[in-house]
Amino acid sequence: MPTDTKRVRGPEVSQSPSLFLCKNAVKKSTASNDARVDGRQRGQVDVRSVFVRCGLISQAKGSAYIEAGNTKLICCVYGPRETERKDETDMKSGRLITDMRFAPFSCRERGSWIQGSDEKDLSLMLLESLRPGVCLQKYPRSQIEVNVMVLENDGAVLAHAVTCASMALADAGIEMYDLVLGCSIRQEGATYLIDPTFLEENGYNLASGSRENLGSLTVAFLPSLNQISGLQSDGEMGEDTLTGDVRTCIEGCFKLYPVIQQALSKAVRRKAPPSES
Amino acid sequence: MATVQVSEAEKVYILHGVRDDLRVDGRGCEDYRHMEIETDMVSNTDGSAKVTLGHTDVLVGVKAEMGKPRPMVPDEGYLEFFVDCSANATPEFEGRGGDELGMELSNTLYKVFNNRYSVDLKSLCISRGEHCWVLYVDVLLLQCDGNLFDAISVAIKAALFNTKIPKVHISEDEEGGKEIELSDDPYDCMRLNVENVPCIVTLCKVGHRHVVDATLQEKACSVASLIISVTHKGTVTCVRKVGGGSLDPESIFEMTEVKSGACALFHTICPHPGKLISIECSVVSNFNLIRTSKLVTQLHLLCRGNSLSV
Repeated sequence: MPTDTKRVRGPEVSQSPSLFLCKNAVKKSTASNDARVDGRQRGQVDVRSVFVRCGLISQAKGSAYIEAGNTKLICCVYGPRETERKDETDMKSGRLITDMRFAPFSCRERGSWIQGSDEKDLSLMLLESLRPGVCLQKYPRSQIEVNVMVLENDGAVLAHAVTCASMALADAGIEMYDLVLGCSIRQEGATYLIDPTFLEENGYNLASGSRENLGSLTVAFLPSLNQISGLQSDGEMGEDTLTGDVRTCIEGCFKLYPVIQQALSKAVRRKAPPSES
Repeated sequence: MATVQVSEAEKVYILHGVRDDLRVDGRGCEDYRHMEIETDMVSNTDGSAKVTLGHTDVLVGVKAEMGKPRPMVPDEGYLEFFVDCSANATPEFEGRGGDELGMELSNTLYKVFNNRYSVDLKSLCISRGEHCWVLYVDVLLLQCDGNLFDAISVAIKAALFNTKIPKVHISEDEEGGKEIELSDDPYDCMRLNVENVPCIVTLCKVGHRHVVDATLQEKACSVASLIISVTHKGTVTCVRKVGGGSLDPESIFEMTEVKSGACALFHTICPHPGKLISIECSVVSNFNLIRTSKLVTQLHLLCRGNSLSV
């Protein structure tokens, strides 16, 4: 276990008080409803409305902020910069480096500042999702750094990180084939919950009958090219449920597309010099 | 992943071959290489298995230790995975080189087993909230010739099948403290039910078609692969797209259909005590490349590892 010598650590045995919460009380109150806690419906493509803004970090080449429900993420892009390692592949195309981190106060339980294996895994998936969308062959011998910071985790973090990162790349002026949008879904028994919140993702609102088909799926999609650049699923699902969920996620991405395009065009107009007339 | 350099002419050759359902070594797009499984080879572990798939060699050791259960689930044990890419496999793995790949493999394994049905975690509980069995599954890559995920998943299934967890008795003494006793008889142990342990099938997109069990040369020609982990019932526990390319949604739907054929094959190989006899026939009919005698010796080895528990 890597130790962080720069911080004074609290006692090893400190635990979050949420562990001692009476879980049964929480479960009973929400299991009977058919609608979800925030008013959206089960079984319908009802993504949370997003607030997106570009160009908020002055030091970065491009940056974006996204808010979906209570999930808040910020992303900044630096580059193209000269690459440190001189491999043969870098002579022909650029390199994309992604880093995704959670702020310690972002989840219910306090996380640590050191990157755990979950964060490394998410960074890798973010990289795989963004790579097909960026024209890396136009930036030989350079590297583009994408840093995503999760400020508050209320579910569907990877999906929104993909969207936020592709907006930041567009804001930075990096050439791309298409925007990459992410969408997350949670399958519970016969119904699905699109864009789940943290509680829904971790199965706290489990309806009593669903012992089968319990899993989550995240899809990263390029809408104009109709290509899936990232796919990741967890839990257990039947084959038909899986294909159905992938289609639903694609629908969710299409719903998000006009909003993101509008936010980007606003940002570009703000950056452009005022016309003399 | 260990990579080979492939020239443009070779790429074109492989692509055209795959288009006509003929790969470089004569297999079809949905055929596996010759696979050998051996269990119970490392005597210091509680369960072990070695899988050879073509030139890929994977050795898995399972050790059961007693630990404290996780606070959120006090009546379950858990599994810990660790994949070590040994420098024997390729010189790229020397020093810290193999760490990235090892981490990717371990994280995928955590996702594959992250559901309630693969392994019955409640059977690993000794006393609620205080003691449970922790199974440390350590994977060692000895040789790397493509298709690591598949070989690792089969090896883990075989090793878990081979795992013997000693039976414990908890006795209370006068002051209310608990004493844990291990039985003296080395054959008095508990076996895990590995019926629902999933196997991973990797499908590589080469040109417009997908191939199963890709070698390193074929991997160098593909931009993206899909990793699907399935149980014998056909439930999918994990899907992941790896690689820097993108996939058409239609090809993903096609790939999920292919995997069911391949997974049926895997689940017959990993035997159950009662089903050993029938496996011989079904595997021979599916695999054209295996010589029957070699397979029978392998099955005898598995039999031997098995009979100790009776």
